[in-house]
Amino acid sequence: MTTSNNSLIQLNNFSYQYPHTANNALKSINLSLKKGSFVGFAGPTGAGKTTLIKSINGIVPHFEGGTFSGEVLLNGKAADTMSTAEIGRSVGTVLDDPEAQIICLDVEQELVFGMENYGVPPAEMEQRMQKALASVGIAHLLGRSTASLSGGQKQRLAIAAALAMLPEVLVLDEPTSELDPLGSEEVFRVLKQLHQEQGMTILVTEQKTDLLARYCDQLVILREGEMVLSGTPREVFQHPDIFELGVALPEVTELARRYYPQAEPPITLDEGVQFCRNVIQTFGG
Amino acid sequence: MNPVIKIDGLSFGYEFGDSVLKDIYLEISPGEMVALVGQNGAGKTTLVKHLIGLLRPPAGKVRVADLDVANTRVSKLSRQVGYVFQNPDHQIFHDTVQAEVAFGLNNLGLPREEVEPRVTAALSDVGLEHLANENPQRLSRGQRQRVALASVLALRTPVIVLDEPTTGQDYQERKQIMALVEQLNKAGHTIVFITHDMSLVAHYASRVVVLCQGQIILDGDTREVFRQTDKLAESLLLPPQVTVLANQLNEPLNTSVSPVILSVDEMQEYLQRVREVKRNGAGD
Repeated sequence: MTTSNNSLIQLNNFSYQYPHTANNALKSINLSLKKGSFVGFAGPTGAGKTTLIKSINGIVPHFEGGTFSGEVLLNGKAADTMSTAEIGRSVGTVLDDPEAQIICLDVEQELVFGMENYGVPPAEMEQRMQKALASVGIAHLLGRSTASLSGGQKQRLAIAAALAMLPEVLVLDEPTSELDPLGSEEVFRVLKQLHQEQGMTILVTEQKTDLLARYCDQLVILREGEMVLSGTPREVFQHPDIFELGVALPEVTELARRYYPQAEPPITLDEGVQFCRNVIQTFGG
Repeated sequence: MNPVIKIDGLSFGYEFGDSVLKDIYLEISPGEMVALVGQNGAGKTTLVKHLIGLLRPPAGKVRVADLDVANTRVSKLSRQVGYVFQNPDHQIFHDTVQAEVAFGLNNLGLPREEVEPRVTAALSDVGLEHLANENPQRLSRGQRQRVALASVLALRTPVIVLDEPTTGQDYQERKQIMALVEQLNKAGHTIVFITHDMSLVAHYASRVVVLCQGQIILDGDTREVFRQTDKLAESLLLPPQVTVLANQLNEPLNTSVSPVILSVDEMQEYLQRVREVKRNGAGD
């Protein structure tokens, strides 16, 4: 893959191995993402999704150690030569376990913690904090202790804290794992809004593929450390190999792929309704 | 048959706010497989914590296996009901997988020759036998979740409560875990599981209890609960995609009530039947 100048994030032949392990967690990943991309990463556990996210925010290799080859470029600069503080200015991170991320006793402290570390003026902090909380729908929780929040509220707080840093890129590792269906939908709506209104680049790992189908521009499937498929959600869900890759298809897609393999499969509920109407109208066959 | 779980007018509030549970009545018979669903913050976890003595109900309000949870020691209760936490890291503290799974068994005072085979069997059930000597903290979240599950399975309690047992699991693992839970249910264990995954509910639960703002608003056979689309919407829950798909198609069959579709296979059968009805209709 050639280096293009307008890539915000570029991985060139990037391989990585955690310390004290026998195998590479990532194997020769080539990926080039432009500013304004909305990319979903799916695949079975152990596929390397979290490691890929960590390679972009610098946790790999800065904190994890281990060995790597190839390179990760952020705005053309090699991530391993940047400090995590420098990476943190452009890449905001939301971990899969909000309890591992939240460190402060109350919601307000949690939100200002990152900003204080980067020396944001207090007047601006207030404004950023309000905006971040409002954009994930938890402005009413400002005075609460973080320990009293539900799993879903904690997940939203972690997103708000990342947003308060005004990152260029937001990387999220299964941000809806503890959310109910509508809460999950809300998170993706928030991401879409950030993407559309602020041109934010979004990278998200997710098991709920019906969300990826509807919200992402690009979907990447990983397996055992390798990038095995990449394309629009439609291209990926229509790919002949998708059944073998351990990824759940949206149910409408699964229905079509299993019983009507000749037809072009739907990937959203609305397309599914249209698809079934066509099936009914064709009577026999 | 006497209910194995009986909750009689339970209300509860944490100190900082509104009441979390309001006047809950619930009876679960031995051998049932019940899904407890509801929005984040609906009170699901708070409710099940009353079944294991982690929260103390007022006297006489909650009985599990004929024990009054209010005044039964947790050590006695834990022989009747096992609980898998939502976050495995709240549960795991030993430095090998094997020691973690053995912990509860040792606490029950079982002899070593019984502990070892039970640990091996539980780890093999969750597919982690090859990681028995690993430190749980080096495993993935999904694997740690299965360590927590194995440590409860090993106890072989009549009632097993699972709080979001498939969080952090991929598609295949979700199916494996639920197949295992189903197998335990068939072997006679009473299962209560909390989940946000409505496809899992549709596939595995025979009964669904819907909590909304601390109250039970629906309780019944899975298919009947998914028929109540208005009530579900009120508690901000979405049925599985195929269930919604069939609803939106709104194609009547020659039956008085429209069917509730719970799986992709059922959807296909439904489409075939609709086609038949149309074909016959067209031939008239």
